Amino acid sequence: MLANTKSEPVVEETNEDKAVDMNKNVYKVDQLNLWYGKDQALINVDMDIPENQVTAIIGPSGCGKSTFIKTLNRMTEMIPIVKTNGSIYYRDENIFDKKYKVEQLRTKVGMVFQKPNPFPKSIYENVVYGPKIHGIKDKKILDDIVEKSLKGAALWDEVKDRLKENAFGLSGGQQQRLCIARCLAVEPDVILMDEPTSALDPISTLKIEELVQELKKDYSIVIVTHNMQQAGRISDKTAFFLNGEIIEYDDTSTIFSSPQDKRTEDYISGRFG
Amino acid sequence: MGVRGTYDQELSQLKNDIFSMGEAVIEAFSEALKILARQNKTKMDQIISNDASINKKELEIHDRATLMIARQQPVATDLRTTIVALKISSDLERVGDLAVDIVKSAKRMEESAHESEILELQDMAAIAIEMLNEALAAYRERDMMRAQQIAMMDDKVDEKYRLFIKDLFASTDKTNVEQTTQLAFTGRYIERIADYATNLAEWIVYERNGKHFDLN
Repeated sequence: MLANTKSEPVVEETNEDKAVDMNKNVYKVDQLNLWYGKDQALINVDMDIPENQVTAIIGPSGCGKSTFIKTLNRMTEMIPIVKTNGSIYYRDENIFDKKYKVEQLRTKVGMVFQKPNPFPKSIYENVVYGPKIHGIKDKKILDDIVEKSLKGAALWDEVKDRLKENAFGLSGGQQQRLCIARCLAVEPDVILMDEPTSALDPISTLKIEELVQELKKDYSIVIVTHNMQQAGRISDKTAFFLNGEIIEYDDTSTIFSSPQDKRTEDYISGRFG
Repeated sequence: MGVRGTYDQELSQLKNDIFSMGEAVIEAFSEALKILARQNKTKMDQIISNDASINKKELEIHDRATLMIARQQPVATDLRTTIVALKISSDLERVGDLAVDIVKSAKRMEESAHESEILELQDMAAIAIEMLNEALAAYRERDMMRAQQIAMMDDKVDEKYRLFIKDLFASTDKTNVEQTTQLAFTGRYIERIADYATNLAEWIVYERNGKHFDLN
């Protein structure tokens, strides 16, 4: 008889500060379909997004990955021709429910885009923009938020002496970290990142990747990336999208070592897409 | 040429290097067995000096695989192919060393003595050679079933080795301890070579499906 030596349980590493409940999900996507006019961009998408982990969405251009991530904080509904059905449960509440307030969702779910998009204001004002909208006026509290958010985005040491300078004077990588700091300032629960490093140089990219690893201790992160190696480096789970469908969704270690679907394998090994 | 033509060529080259190393190792082992029956000083020296080129092949395979990991970042089956090339080349290198050990044992034995024991060793070694040939064929074809059958052949070698040692020491001529010891060592070397052939089979299964099986 052949003995299967792989039956031993794999010990997952968890961070020491906060025990991660592997079964706890921030999102549960159930049979999500989305159309742009007559073109269906998402087809029967089912997906659980775990808490305090990094979930990567990969797939070739036009596969629906950006549409999917934008749907998670209802950004696609601003496009008039978009129709959706199915459900997305965020913390057990269906975000498509008529009573559900989109402002409530966006407070909890922040977004970082492909190109850094700081406001044409000072570094300080960029960070406090969200908290001020939420009614925080106390200078001391705002100062604390700025320091905490910039430290959280690994930018504090580089900008602490020039907080009043215009954000446009920062490098691309610094601007992107400022956008992450701006996102952290409102203390979200989830951070959605839509190709956050595609406009950045390799060193800035690695800084953001390191930052993502730090951030997952306190936040749940969903990241769309064109860069397969990046997904392999930083994510805990990976979903492979193709033509609007999820072809495979599994632990990143499984996807990158023994994917079950030939299409996943061909994509991650760079043979199409 | 596909999207990653150069990369695919490098992967094929890695596999070709393994075949050529495997063929060289099997030849060294076969020649070592001939030496057992009929000593030939020139052949003996040739097998020992050829081992350096087998060792060199292993290092070339290691360098090629290391560069592929660094520059091409293989994943999934490609990654397993690369890792398995590293593992198989190390196992083949050990088989080459054992062939040299057989030659060195032969050197220490008297010519034409213990003919029946040497026939038994050659009988056992014939299975080990078949196992190595099968392993190379299974590697070429990525044939898991063929790889798994190698384990059954290893059981035969183990049984023959057990009987060989039992008979050898039962009928030992106490006046020729050196001769008996070298025969026992040679039996052990052949049995180890069969174990390495089984290791190759395990890596072939892993390359194919990513799962570890203990075939030994």
